[in-house]
Amino acid sequence: MWQFIVRRLLYSIVTLLILSATIFVIVRLTGDPVSLLAEAGARPEDLERIHRQWGLDRSWPVQYVSFLQNIVTGDLGKSFNYRLPVSELYFQRLPNSLTLGLVATLISILVGVPAGIISAVKVNTWWDTLAKGVALLGLSIPGFWLGLVLILVFSVWLRWLPTSGAGDWRHVVMPSLALGWYFAASMLRLTRSSMLEVLGSEYIKLARLKGLPDVVVIAMHAFKNALIPVFTLAGVNMVVMVNAAVIIEVIFAWPGIGRLLYEGIFNRDFPLVQGVVVMAGFMIVGINLIVDILYAFIDPRIRLTR
Amino acid sequence: MTTHADSPHGAERPSARTTHADSPHGAERPSARTTIATHGPLGPGRAATGVRAVIEAAREAPLVPVAILGGLMLVAILADLIAPHDPTLPVKGANVFDPPFWMEGGRTTTLLGTDFQGRDVLSRLIHGARVSLIVGLMGTLVAGGIGTAMGILSGYVGRWVDQVIMRVTDAWLALPALVFAIFLATMVGPSMWNIVFVLGAVYWTRYARVIRGEVLTLREREFVKLAEIAGASKLRVIKRHILPNVMNTATVLASLTIGVVIIAEASLSFLGVGVPPPQPAWGLMLAEARPTLMAGQWWLTVFPGLCILLIVLATQLFGDWLRVRLDPQLRNL
Amino acid sequence: MRRSRCVAAALMLIVLASTAASLSSPAGAAARGKLVLAWHAGLASRWLDPQEHDGTATPDNFFTAIHDGLIKNQGTALFDHPALAEKFTVAPDAKSATFTLRKGIKFHNGEPVTPQDVKFSYENYRGAKADVFKKKTERVEIVDDRTIRFHFKEPFLDFAILFGTANVAAPGWVVPEKYYKQVGADGFKQKPVGAGPYRLVRHEPGVKLEMEAFDGYYRPVNVKQLVMTSVPEGATRVAMLERGEADIIYSVPGELVSRVQKLPGVTLAPVLSGSWFLEFPGFQDPKSPFRDKRVREAVSLAIDRRAMNQAESAGFGKVSGNWINNDVQYALEWPEIERNVERAKQLLREAGYPNGFDVDWVTPLPAWYSRGERLIGQLREVGIRARMQTMERGVFFQRLQGGIKEWPGVQIIFHGIRIAGSWSFWYEAHVKCGGFNSRDRLCIKELDAKFEQYERSINPAERKKLAEEIQRAILEKHYLVPVFRHAFVNAIGPRVAAQKWQDVFPTITTGYAYPWEDIKLKEQ
Repeated sequence: MWQFIVRRLLYSIVTLLILSATIFVIVRLTGDPVSLLAEAGARPEDLERIHRQWGLDRSWPVQYVSFLQNIVTGDLGKSFNYRLPVSELYFQRLPNSLTLGLVATLISILVGVPAGIISAVKVNTWWDTLAKGVALLGLSIPGFWLGLVLILVFSVWLRWLPTSGAGDWRHVVMPSLALGWYFAASMLRLTRSSMLEVLGSEYIKLARLKGLPDVVVIAMHAFKNALIPVFTLAGVNMVVMVNAAVIIEVIFAWPGIGRLLYEGIFNRDFPLVQGVVVMAGFMIVGINLIVDILYAFIDPRIRLTR
Repeated sequence: MTTHADSPHGAERPSARTTHADSPHGAERPSARTTIATHGPLGPGRAATGVRAVIEAAREAPLVPVAILGGLMLVAILADLIAPHDPTLPVKGANVFDPPFWMEGGRTTTLLGTDFQGRDVLSRLIHGARVSLIVGLMGTLVAGGIGTAMGILSGYVGRWVDQVIMRVTDAWLALPALVFAIFLATMVGPSMWNIVFVLGAVYWTRYARVIRGEVLTLREREFVKLAEIAGASKLRVIKRHILPNVMNTATVLASLTIGVVIIAEASLSFLGVGVPPPQPAWGLMLAEARPTLMAGQWWLTVFPGLCILLIVLATQLFGDWLRVRLDPQLRNL
Repeated sequence: MRRSRCVAAALMLIVLASTAASLSSPAGAAARGKLVLAWHAGLASRWLDPQEHDGTATPDNFFTAIHDGLIKNQGTALFDHPALAEKFTVAPDAKSATFTLRKGIKFHNGEPVTPQDVKFSYENYRGAKADVFKKKTERVEIVDDRTIRFHFKEPFLDFAILFGTANVAAPGWVVPEKYYKQVGADGFKQKPVGAGPYRLVRHEPGVKLEMEAFDGYYRPVNVKQLVMTSVPEGATRVAMLERGEADIIYSVPGELVSRVQKLPGVTLAPVLSGSWFLEFPGFQDPKSPFRDKRVREAVSLAIDRRAMNQAESAGFGKVSGNWINNDVQYALEWPEIERNVERAKQLLREAGYPNGFDVDWVTPLPAWYSRGERLIGQLREVGIRARMQTMERGVFFQRLQGGIKEWPGVQIIFHGIRIAGSWSFWYEAHVKCGGFNSRDRLCIKELDAKFEQYERSINPAERKKLAEEIQRAILEKHYLVPVFRHAFVNAIGPRVAAQKWQDVFPTITTGYAYPWEDIKLKEQ
């Protein structure tokens, strides 16, 4: 078991290194940020001074090593645009993104899973078709469109909810709906297929033959096995949502990490983008590591895999 | 999102999950459904069954999705002929924001109304089919091509190549897709083919993982081992045995990701790094027309939205059918 | 009984004292209510620090709330309204300028505003045009505890304009020396302390600025709480306005203008803003079709400026003949250019292009693509065929600064910019060889020589003459082709007391709402 954990840990570290190098290079390939930082009327000397100030005049490998060294001490760099340490900005916004991600994930589970179960149990009936239709809608409507429609209907017409920004529970409803909608659809599909598979398995057939009522069969046996992958997906999705709900955050002026990243990219704010992506990478790689280890606990066979 | 091909929970959007011989979900159980061309374990010398399976399956293709997709492709190809107006120019004699012809103020020359520049919505939808299909299909092809190649390399060649590719895949999956796409679009500039490249570069990782899992399983099969013992070169083994068998999975995955790719194009357009105007693309039309949602010009968002819905529906249905057809064991993809 | 009389007397004293106190701070007494502004972009922290003015027309929206300058634009004064300074004089030889500070002015942290702070702010200034000030200033003299004098090496005629136009430069915007040095430039941007009508109470970087009326301000402040929140999506801003979540919103999307106009109690504020004009990079290349003045003129005649204004600004913009806004010093008035497709075609024929020609790219300032498309449509009617080039904003500026090598082939750049103060700032940025935006793309020797003459001159009459000559040359030879001045359309909600929109958006050097202390809510 330990071997497995150590191996996975090493893999995660390598992955993070590759990730940080990738983002480092990509960000620099988008061009020189100084022209956006400097004011109109800046002369070449001014641009050089800014280069030096931010350490941009050093060669890339040197900058990268310095970047890595800083990460280890928890210093993710200082944002060009905000003049604040990136870690401070990230953690300032993190609670908002976590809130949004959590509620959206909850919605996706509460809507997707029951619908998927019903759809699987009543497979090929009109329930199933309805559920599949809803899933389809979820997969084919872009989040920004849904978000704007929600604002129009619930904020402007019905005046039930505030349009944007963060605040109390009323502010969270629409953005998390718009965000979670797509994932609800994919939850639905996964739950459905997972349930179908389990329901078709020998184990369940046996339970049915024994004469147990359907509800019991589903609740006690099918449920558990079918839902492991579903909740895994939910966990991973949530992490993704927390870090990259760019469009929803822009539309709803939600003060989260996605918006931070979006502005960082367009302002060529290297340290900000690098820092946020590395943090996001940490979270994603981290949760995958945890999930893998949990699975290894549950299923010993996995510990033997590469 | 990272999925380890050798772990059984590897699920990702949209629900692509691998089941393996060593997974607790028992991929080895016999298929209870009778199908004309079953995938199943392939024997030696029947390497082409995978392709044949697809062809035979096509004979029983489901009507609705094929009709929709076929129709859309036809529209895309014949766009120049069918579209009543030039999609990039304002229509002479029409105003901006004309409603569809059945409403007050609408005209029969612009059946579905005009946009903020006075351009005909119907013509833009027709030409947009071309762009959306190219972006969707080609983007998926590129992603699928790269991903399959990587997956095969990783799974078959093994050891350090596998490790490197898998770590890179993990790293790329941890990069939020949209962010990555924005970067690339900024770097290489906005154009339709660049968007194809961008989407391919972002989504290949989904394929690599799944294909790798397949290949790992296949590698242990007798007929492959026999071929290796018989002295066939790695390349030959790949070509004759591995590739045809993973094509099923790859095809199913592809059909499921076309929709994702088309929506991604819409998202990129929203952020200003998608297909550049004035080229019509459904996602771009949706993005450009966002303010009109509130202004009451519903036709500017509903019609492109319906088109996207249509193509996603068609590809999903087709993918579902294909999956069940080709291999019931792939039901969980 | 004696004790109660004492108590009564004490109470009376207290009442008198507090009345006196509240009367002496006009701001604190009257400030009530809350005003919310929905800002249309991100919130860069450097906009809270006048010392690092980035040269764009953006930071003054925030300066006017949190900070104050010696002189600034207010009311009808474009730059010389006395603010922190109660009076100022410029010496007749223009080699010095003297400012006298008001009595009793304070910073938000209670410290008095002293000439020492003024000197520090001036000498430490690192923002736009800092090089100009540094080059021309000999020394800063503190004359007495309220007077400060700037001495220049040579006559500095543009001093007052540069000093007082907040959306060009800000060395005259005073920051507290002690505090600035204590927290450092970065710390200052998180927690700025200024001498303006509002002090920053809460700063969520990139999201929101919450401010409260400063009761030590020398003018009465009407609204107690001022909140500026960043809402990048136009439709959302409009929704906020409709729902009453925002009292002022900036940048109403064109498609929503008519909807906003119909909202009860809402006033549209179409502020005349940036000037849009065409540049022909590489026009001096003998192979370029634009080397011929007639071709450039043909382009100018092919543009339907009225239609552009109508379509892009709902008609609220302005079609003028000069690419330089008329609200700056020595701007030349030029008649509107009427569209004339026939004459344009004729000119093209004369120049040797009877069937028109192809332009590789028309590049509008990102992301104003719809006007680029309209331009292309209009040019097509005279036979000039072009495609639109889109690119990301950062890339556009990079290419601009990269000079002519970034614009190969036959291209047209569709600029949009707003510069206040003086016509010379426009010339410097967009025409002069080596200018920030022009780089090496124009470099018209005769004009640059004249401009140098202008800069050296200390005779206002001569300067005006040169200014007009240069502008006339540019317009007659069509080096730059003006298109229109667009309108930055904002909206004022029902809670704000405004007879007309100019009550909230008064002047022409800035498109934003101000002065913040004067804006009233209806219940007051």
